Order: sequence, then structure tokens, then C-alpha cells
Amino acid sequence: MGVAGPTDAGQSAPPTTEVLRVHGLVKRYGELTAVDGVSFTIQPGETFGLLGPNGAGKTTTISMIAGLIAADAGTVTVAGMGMGPSETAAKRHLGLVPQELAIYPDLTGRENLNFFGRLQGLNGKDLSRRTQEVLELIGLADRAGDLTKNYSGGMKRRLNIGIGLLHRPTLLILDEPTVGVDPQSRNSILEAVEALSSEGMAVLYTTHYMEEAERLCDRIAIIDEGSIQAEGTRDQLIKLTGGVDRINLHGSGNSTAAAAALRLVPGVQHVDGDGSALALTVHDGPSVLAGIVTGAANAGMSVTSVEITRPDLESVFLHLTGKALRD
Amino acid sequence: MRQLWIMTLKDLRQRVRDRSVFVFSLVVPLALMGVLSLVTGGFGSDDPGLEPVTVAASAANADQLATAVLDTMESQEVVDVTLNRMSADDARAAARSGAADVAIIIPDDFGSSLRSGSSPTVQVVQGDGAGLETDVLISVVVGVVDQLHAASVAAAAAGAAGLPPEAIAAIGNQAAARAPALTLKEGRASDEQLSFQGTLVAGQAGLFLMFTVGFGVLGLLAEREQGTLARLKSMPLGHGIIVASKAAVGYILGVAATGVLLVTGSLLFGVDFGSPLVVGVLVLSVVAAATSLTFIVARMVRTAEQANVAQSILAMVLGIAGGAFFPIQGSGFAQTLLDINPVGAFIRGLGISAGGGGLPEVGAPIAVMLVFAGACLVIARIIPDRGARA
Ligand SMILES: Nc1ncnc2c1ncn2[C@@H]1O[C@H](COP(=O)(O)OP(=O)(O)OP(=O)(O)O)[C@@H](O)[C@H]1O
Ligand SMILES: [Mg+2]
Repeated sequence: MGVAGPTDAGQSAPPTTEVLRVHGLVKRYGELTAVDGVSFTIQPGETFGLLGPNGAGKTTTISMIAGLIAADAGTVTVAGMGMGPSETAAKRHLGLVPQELAIYPDLTGRENLNFFGRLQGLNGKDLSRRTQEVLELIGLADRAGDLTKNYSGGMKRRLNIGIGLLHRPTLLILDEPTVGVDPQSRNSILEAVEALSSEGMAVLYTTHYMEEAERLCDRIAIIDEGSIQAEGTRDQLIKLTGGVDRINLHGSGNSTAAAAALRLVPGVQHVDGDGSALALTVHDGPSVLAGIVTGAANAGMSVTSVEITRPDLESVFLHLTGKALRD
Repeated sequence: MRQLWIMTLKDLRQRVRDRSVFVFSLVVPLALMGVLSLVTGGFGSDDPGLEPVTVAASAANADQLATAVLDTMESQEVVDVTLNRMSADDARAAARSGAADVAIIIPDDFGSSLRSGSSPTVQVVQGDGAGLETDVLISVVVGVVDQLHAASVAAAAAGAAGLPPEAIAAIGNQAAARAPALTLKEGRASDEQLSFQGTLVAGQAGLFLMFTVGFGVLGLLAEREQGTLARLKSMPLGHGIIVASKAAVGYILGVAATGVLLVTGSLLFGVDFGSPLVVGVLVLSVVAAATSLTFIVARMVRTAEQANVAQSILAMVLGIAGGAFFPIQGSGFAQTLLDINPVGAFIRGLGISAGGGGLPEVGAPIAVMLVFAGACLVIARIIPDRGARA
């Protein structure tokens, strides 16, 4: 760390401390541009999320960042060093957890860890200590001697992650690590990522589950069709939707009069409605909810149910792309 | 280098655990040697399995020297001979029609011209049934005629009127005794030098070599299918380490399996392949050729299944063309193709070594195998990698 990247040459800014800088990445497959000008940076200790639906270009972006494939355009700098398929120096700083399982079924869990650890340059006591630590972190210490083909799906996933962080990389890249995992394993994976992050490891986390992005990530980039649609903290992204909550009222009585009355309630921005249902957009829903229900009742509408929807990354994605995040 | 070794060891451990390498590289070929040996000959004997031969011969009845030649041929112990004397024309016809395997026509002036110091021409006509057996007989005839000629020249120089009968008999016996040695020394096609059992052992070792070294490439495809190739590519590995380690695995398995097969085979079937050093160099060379061929396979296939099919085809084509089951001969271009086959070169080399040949004598087959290895590496670099995209 503290090594000046080539892009800093001649600038007055202090030497970069970025763990990762991605600039203008492009990857084409024939007619298809799978990744189209992606740029972002990750600071030390930061957990950065890449949130997007199937086929958005997450794995392709990661493959270029990890030096698996060459970019058609753009640059990747890891800890100040240029990355590409033959850049071994930059690769030393990376730990990759591929989307597809990448473990040997005919070796035991411990043998898998030892093998990859040796290739990363660990050996002797250092290797066996680190292997044991990781086995405990991923909860596989008691199954370490079993062939991994006899592991459950969740256990394989956890080992897949363990191998990526064995050598304490500066940047850990996780590509949809919880896909196809039961809720319990999923939770332990998320906890492990949180633990690593609190120890100061920088993490690049891709997912199409917005809950995971919200829970884990300091900053999130929303990616669709190969390009980043928006980037920021969760709150910054939510502000993009206007930061309003939606309230749906159902009931009977004079809904037209109620709609007119509610437009005058402070905090209410917009009221739509017909017949027995009214849809409102409001600023800070919880605080205005009581006034809305009484206002509707006073105007002659008896409310039978109320729904309040706070904006989340799903609504951000909908707002930005006009489609739902999940199909 | 450390990384190469780590990768190679990991693969070897997987292969040993997998056990299919033992089945394909040792059990199956050994079983096949046993079965083929039971079907075609006695177990454990070193009988070359030569067929009896019918010879149609024409010679002047009164010619003492011509009679000596035929007697010698009949009395040698390598091949069973049925000798029918007839006129020259009948003898030729018999060979052509297949009634005889070979016709030997000794000119009427054979004895007199030998005595006068000149070398008469003995005509040999091979029929369709000609093979190793007739080659042995012909070499006996050639040997005996040469020696009679040499002895006559010596006698003429000494002023004697002719060869005494005892000398003629002695020369005949000598030539007959030397017959098998002659066939071993000539260094021709392998089947003429290795015993039947030897061909069996060498042939099966050559045939299954392709399967064994193929485990290297299969390992590479397995990395791709298991997703571990992506992980390896994200690691700080030196250039070409991944492929090199797979080649090393194929090479090590190939050398080990071929070595074990030759040793076990020669113990089981009582075959002597000659100098261990020469055999060792032959094994190292043929495994190099087979391993580099797998690089081409690696470029052309995408799945383990395709690799298996490709390897089976290559093993069969190279093995059969190399003479793993029976000797094969061609002419012109076909023969050239057969000659550059590394399995064929390997079996030829073992034949030469079994016949007592040293390193200089096996130079040609070794050159064939090493050039083949080099050519495969070059080709593998040129052709595009079909599997890389997957
Ligand atoms: N090797 C390839 N050849 C051709 N097209 C490819 C290749 N790899 C990816 N693509 C295409 O590029 C696009 C982006 O794929 P990518 O795998 O990066 O998406 P993703 O965001 O990781 O999706 P998912 O959530 O399903 O994993 C897709 O349309 C995909 O079909
Ligand atoms: Mg993906």
C-alpha cells in the first residue's frame, strides 16, 4: 500500500490509497457488449457492492478485475499495480471467490485449502495455522478430512469462500456467493463477510439480492446491461427516487372527498385514487400516517387497511431502469 | 518451479486416488497381454511361433554343393521345412500358385562356378505365404552360399582342386547354427526381431501409453469443468505453469506405467528386452512423443468426453499401425506414415535392443519419436484453442 499508481504520476494529489481502481472497462462478445465502460474505486476496508440482475455483466467485470480475461478497453489497478491476465504482482493482492464452485471434489476440504494456500506462497506452520483458522471461520473444522464431493451444497459454498480469503488478500472478490444456499448457510456467509470487513479487508461483492447489498455494503453500484446506472451509499441511492414513501389506503365511503382532503395534509405530495383505494406519495410516511388516517375518516371514508412502503434498492432499480431487479 | 511441482503433485494425488489410471494403464493392458498370449500361443514360452514352410527347390541332382545348400536349409532348427525337389519351372509355378511358400532355384552350374571362384546366382521366389519363416530360410541360403563362395575362393587360391566333403559339411552346419543370429542382427522390421511374446508386451505397452499420458489433458479439462481453472488463473502463477504441470503429470504417469508394463510383462512372459539403459531411453522418448500429442488433443477438444474419444482413436490408430497386435506393412507414402509412428518406432527400438543393440543402434527410432514430439508441440502452438472460451 502507499504505492503510487501510474495514473498519479505528475499530479499534486497524494499517492493513491485505493485498493482497486477500475476505469472505463469494456468487454465485447461478438455483437454483445457485456461490459460497457464500467468505472469505480474501492477504498481500503470498504465493502463495495455490484448489484444487478442476471446478465448485467457482473461476472464479466470481475473476470477482468481478477485478470482471468483481458479487457477490450479500460484499465484495472489493484493496490497501485496494473492488472491483466499475466500480471502476477497485482494478482498477489487478490482473493477470488468465483460464482461457480471452484473446488476439487476428490480432495478433502483441508487438502483443497492447503493446495491453494501453497500456490499463494504459504507453507509450513504458517499454512497449517491459517488453514485451521479459515476452517473455523467457515465452520468446516469438523469436516475438514472429508472429500468435498460428500459436502452439502452450503458446505461447498463456504469452502469456496474460504479458499479465496486464505492468504489474507488486500481485496476479496465475492461473486454471488450465496446463490443456491439455504437461509442458515447464507446467514453464516454474510456474517463471515462482515467479520472480514471489520478486520479491515476490502471486499467487492456482487449480488442480485438487494437485501445483501443493503446489509453488507458501504457503497453500492447498480449495474444493468453492462453499465453502471448509479453509485453511492444506500441512502444516496434512495434519494435518487425522490426519497418518498408510498401509502395505500383501502376502505369504504367517500373516497373522492377523502382524496381532496388528504391533498391538504402537510407532507403529502400526491394522491391518486378511485373507488375504494387511494395511493399517496408522502414525505416521511410514518410521521404523517396518523394525520392521514384521521383526515380520511373526517372526510367520510372509513379506512379498513393501510400499507406503507418505504423505498429500497428495488425501487431505485425500478426507478433507474424501469424494470424489476428480479425476474 | 515450486508452483509447477505443487500442481503436479496435486494432480498425481488425484489420479492415484481416482484409481482409473491403474485400471487403464496397468490392469487392462496386462490382462490383454495374457488373453492375447493364451489365444495365440502358449503362456510363458518364448516360442517365436514360426509356421512350417513348404519349399519347392530345383537343383542338379549330381551337384554336391547345391545339395549341401538344401540340406543345410532343411536341417536348421528354427523353421520346420518340407522340401520338394522339382524342375525350375515347376518350382516357380508352385511358389506363384501358393503350393509352396518359397521356391529356391539353384542353377545347374552352381557347383562348377563356385569351384571356379565365381559367384553363381541363386534365385528365390517368394509366394503369398512368405513371412518371417521364409526370411529365415532365405538368410540361411544366402549365408551358406556366401561361405561356400568364400571357402572356394580360399581353396582355389591354395591350389586345391575343390572343397573336400568335410569342409562343405562344416560350412553348412555353421551357417545353419547362425541362422537365428542373422535374423536378429539385420535390424529390419520389429516383428522380425522381437519374439511373439515380446511384441505382445511392447505392443500393449505402446497401445495403452496414449491412454495413460491422456490423464494429463483430462486433468486440464477437469480443472475447466470444476471451475478451478478460473481460480487458478486469478492466482499469481507463472506463465504456462498450468499446462506444463498437466504435461508433467502425463509424462510421469506414462513413464511409470510403461516401465511397470515392460518389467511385469517381461517377467510374466519371459521376454528379455535387452539393456535397461537402452530400454529406459526408448521409454522416455516414446512417452515424450505421446505426451506432446496430447497437447494437440487439448487444443481441439472442449470436454472430457471428447478427449476420451480422441484419445481412444489415437491410441488405436497409433497402436495398431505401430504393430501392437500384428505387424503392419505398407508401401510408399503409407509406409512413411507407418515409419513416423512413435509407437511403431518404440516397438522397432525394443526389437533392436532385444537383439543386443545399444544406444547407437536405436538412434533412428529415438530420432523418430523425438522429432514427432517436437512436431506436435509446434502444431499445438499453431492451431487455435477451441476449449479456451468455455
Ligand atoms: N464467454 C462468453 N461468451 C459470450 N458471451 C458471454 C460470455 N460471458 C458472458 N457473456 C454474456 O455477457 C453478458 C454478461 O454476463 P455476466 O456473466 O457478466 O452476467 P452476470 O451479471 O454475472 O449475470 P449472473 O447474475 O447471471 O451471474 C451476458 O449476456 C452473457 O451471456
Ligand atoms: Mg455472474
